Amino acid sequence: MANTAAVRTRRGGGIRRGEARAGWLFVAPAVVITLVFLVIPIMLALWVSFSDWNGFQSPLNPRVNFVGLENYAAITVDSGLDQKNFGISVRNNLYYVLFVVPLQTIIALLLAVQVNRAVLRGRGYFRTAFYFPSVTSTVAIVIVFQFLFTASGAVNAVIGAFGIDGPDWFNDSTGVFHGLLSVVGITQPSGLLAEPGFLGISGWEWLAGPSVAMSSLIMLAIFTTSGTFMLLFLAALQSIGAEIDEAALMDGAGPARKFFSITIPMLRPTLFTVLTLGLIGSWQVFDQIYVLGGTSAGGTISTPAYLAYRSSFVDLEWGQGAAIAFILFIFIIVLTLLQRWALAERGPRRARKKAGLL
Amino acid sequence: MTTVTPSLAGAEDAPKRSFRRRKVLGGRARTAMLLSYLILIGLALIYIYPFIISISASFKTDAEATQDALGLIPQTITFAAYERLFGDVPFPLWAGNTLLISTVVTVGRVFFDSLAGYALSRLRFRGRTAVFVAFIAILSVPGVVLLIPRFLILQQLGLYDTYGGMIIPLLSTAAGVFIMKQFFDSIPVSIEEAARIDGAGTFRMFWTIVLPMARPALVTLFILSFQGSWNELGHFIVSRQSPELNTLTTGVASLVSGQLGSGNQFPLQLAAAVLMTIPVAILFFIFQKRIMNTTEGGEKG
Amino acid sequence: MRTSQWSAVALAAGLVVTLAACAPAEEGGDVQTGQDLTILIGSSGEAETTAVQAAADAWATETGNTVEVIAASDLVQQLGQGFSGNNPPDLFYMPWDQFQTYAAQGFLEPYADDLANTADFLPALRDQFSYDGQFYCAPKDFSTLGLQINLDAWEAAGLTDADIPTDWDQLATVAAALTTPDQVGLSMGREYARVGVFMNQAGGTLVDGATAVADSAENAEALDYLQGLIADGSLKFPQELEAGWGGEAFGLGKAAMVIEGPWINGAMRNDFPDRKFISVELPAGPGGPSTFAFSNCWGMPVGSETRDATLDLIEFLTSDEQQLAFAEAFGVIPSTESGSAAYAAQFPENAAFVAGVASAVSPVAFSGAAAALADFNTQLEQIGSADPSALLNSLQVNLQAALDEANG
Repeated sequence: MANTAAVRTRRGGGIRRGEARAGWLFVAPAVVITLVFLVIPIMLALWVSFSDWNGFQSPLNPRVNFVGLENYAAITVDSGLDQKNFGISVRNNLYYVLFVVPLQTIIALLLAVQVNRAVLRGRGYFRTAFYFPSVTSTVAIVIVFQFLFTASGAVNAVIGAFGIDGPDWFNDSTGVFHGLLSVVGITQPSGLLAEPGFLGISGWEWLAGPSVAMSSLIMLAIFTTSGTFMLLFLAALQSIGAEIDEAALMDGAGPARKFFSITIPMLRPTLFTVLTLGLIGSWQVFDQIYVLGGTSAGGTISTPAYLAYRSSFVDLEWGQGAAIAFILFIFIIVLTLLQRWALAERGPRRARKKAGLL
Repeated sequence: MTTVTPSLAGAEDAPKRSFRRRKVLGGRARTAMLLSYLILIGLALIYIYPFIISISASFKTDAEATQDALGLIPQTITFAAYERLFGDVPFPLWAGNTLLISTVVTVGRVFFDSLAGYALSRLRFRGRTAVFVAFIAILSVPGVVLLIPRFLILQQLGLYDTYGGMIIPLLSTAAGVFIMKQFFDSIPVSIEEAARIDGAGTFRMFWTIVLPMARPALVTLFILSFQGSWNELGHFIVSRQSPELNTLTTGVASLVSGQLGSGNQFPLQLAAAVLMTIPVAILFFIFQKRIMNTTEGGEKG
Repeated sequence: MRTSQWSAVALAAGLVVTLAACAPAEEGGDVQTGQDLTILIGSSGEAETTAVQAAADAWATETGNTVEVIAASDLVQQLGQGFSGNNPPDLFYMPWDQFQTYAAQGFLEPYADDLANTADFLPALRDQFSYDGQFYCAPKDFSTLGLQINLDAWEAAGLTDADIPTDWDQLATVAAALTTPDQVGLSMGREYARVGVFMNQAGGTLVDGATAVADSAENAEALDYLQGLIADGSLKFPQELEAGWGGEAFGLGKAAMVIEGPWINGAMRNDFPDRKFISVELPAGPGGPSTFAFSNCWGMPVGSETRDATLDLIEFLTSDEQQLAFAEAFGVIPSTESGSAAYAAQFPENAAFVAGVASAVSPVAFSGAAAALADFNTQLEQIGSADPSALLNSLQVNLQAALDEANG
């Protein structure tokens, strides 16, 4: 494209000045909006994260002081409530990521493979069914899930039919791993596990697992995102469909072998995309937590994104809120850069490989 | 929900390929297919049933909704929840705000992003590469960390708690600019060349010739923008506080957290959830082909 | 220290109990007109919202202003966002647990001494809403906690007037007797504002001067007692009963007894008019009787542009006449000496709440305490299984840190 553009300009020299002006005029609205509502605000928030602004009047008024790294220290190294709340939110989100990312990927892939069957009638209906949750608002989905997962709700009615006494999902703060340990009689930590560890959280607390309440949110996330990722897998499956069949034909492979030794390797780039997109998205979970009030279930559903909001808007600790947001910001940017770097590495090599094969 | 963008952008440039259906089925294949159907029907039930009983429960009484959550047909059908939504609860106001904001945001975004995308793809000007690189960099800024910064700037500019503050920051997105630029990169320049020789001005050419050609990309951007702003929650939490400016998302969310003493009220909440979902559902069914298209095209190709 | 002041209130209420007459409402001379005021309230329900709106409308019509009453879904969040956005409401409920923090941060206008009726407020309430020796904002009203008993359930369990519990053992006995498969004997909010009462009844407290004393044996005894009730199955919290708060669980018949304040009258009349119940004084613990007294004040943002009009509105809202109207609508006790006396005479069914004043204590609320107590409330979700001393130890640490910061 760059070449054609260059050729074109050389040819049409007379209009070049007009074109330059038009170019800037055309990008101006997008650039101005981005500058004013994205770049400058981030600078402003960066300042707030180094200040003692308490939410009164402007953060730029002369009564606001520079406090250096104090806000960052309060949530990371100084032991106390602020550090504990941050540590707990990181733990909660970590388990959320650990469960959501693999599960949504596996389920999306499963859905895609089933829907993709060439012989299947009504595949359009199935695809619609699986994708529909992805287009509805989180607020609506949270309401539906709260209704389903209430103590006397539909989910407990279904598992009750199998003789299982379901928990009060959204209010149960028991860690799933703690719950499993208590089955074998371990209910209290011992030794080192009881001592405050990383971010002021004891090893025992780090090992709690997602709470029952967080598990409901994990299911909610899988429910809403698997449809989207199914579409990505479907697109990939369709594009390699013929190759798979040919390869399988030559190998004489059965369905299971075909799936694991041919389909999966060929899907690897999409798999990678889905995993990293899921990873980046799962560290940003906010809407669900906000709608549920954020502090319920013994603080086990709070996430850094929500805590940043709450510290600022409710507790008036704007410096700490902004500091949490920046830590999250840098973390996610690093993930994104890693993804881009890996994709860039992978892209040419794959192309070369393909070229070599042909 | 943030993951919708990449999926559609990705679907856009997925290669299309045809393959032939196998005509004859062996016995083993038939069993496999049957199994496949069973799995799919089971899964589809899991995905759809929650919505069905939610709709059903919105017509139940509070007590029945709590006690008999699974029941498909309400024992006593009541419209009480819907009456309350249009009586005590300012639901129409929320819907009106959401419609207004989503419309303005969608139109603005489609227009500004295609303008910028076109300029970055076709027009030569100094700093073009820098602007493009900047947009690429901004693509990776996670939306959720913008909540505090956005609030701060709106407060500084005096736009906090106004329609302007709720709308203007959403009028352009780096992702939209990127989608449009990619699209313009992929269509040939010959038609524009002809118009250029006719002496058409840049904007007139963009408006009368380029935009009509860009319909597929515009539709994609339209769907993304409308669905995105209709379902937006975070920005409307931090850009307003007056109840008059509540959108569907913030308003219905306040029904969930509930004023002290208002209790569970599942039918009311579910009715609100059902109603707020209808417009995006309609959009989804109209543009279903478009949204999930690539695969369909491949099949028929 | 607080207890003695509340006792003085009780005395005052008792002395003037015969004076049922209402003092005429204070009428400001020339009030600003044409103002649009906004009031943000944290409402206990429909009854309260309606009553506040009606009062505000009455004032607005009289003075040629308009007032919009907004019932917050999360009062503290909406207040914080309003202040940070330079757009606070003109008048708002300032919750007792946030007052010191807001005053310390310089958010509040110390207007109370400019009110015409500033001398009428109960001394204990003046003290609660003073910061750095200055009386900041007019107490809206006050409430104490009592024990509500569902009379139908009481009879069904074969209990009589003689069984009304007066100490912990009796409370445990009747709670067990009232517990059936469909109904739990006792319920209450799972929070410091309820659990703290039991600590005080055990003879404990959280703060002594500049020292936190949350990890005392008395406080542990209180938590042990509650754990016993939970283990017996006779105490469940509203969340476990699928209710938003204690009153709802009570109204729905899921709890036979709850611990709530006089606001429960308005809520029951509005949402569950058929529920027959009485309110009695809380049973005494090993350390004697004790209840909490809560009060919100009418907060005004510092440097308010509508100060004069708002002052006039506050005088109107805190007049005895208006406070008694609120009392009628949702049960709260007027914040003035004459008003609270009239209340006792006018609402004998609420006598228990007024009587509770004798043993009432204000909850801990120094600047910064709210975060420590919020964490404690979170910890309380584990009260069924956790080790009480571990809960109290972490409260102790957090409270001491907050105290050091407030005093340092």
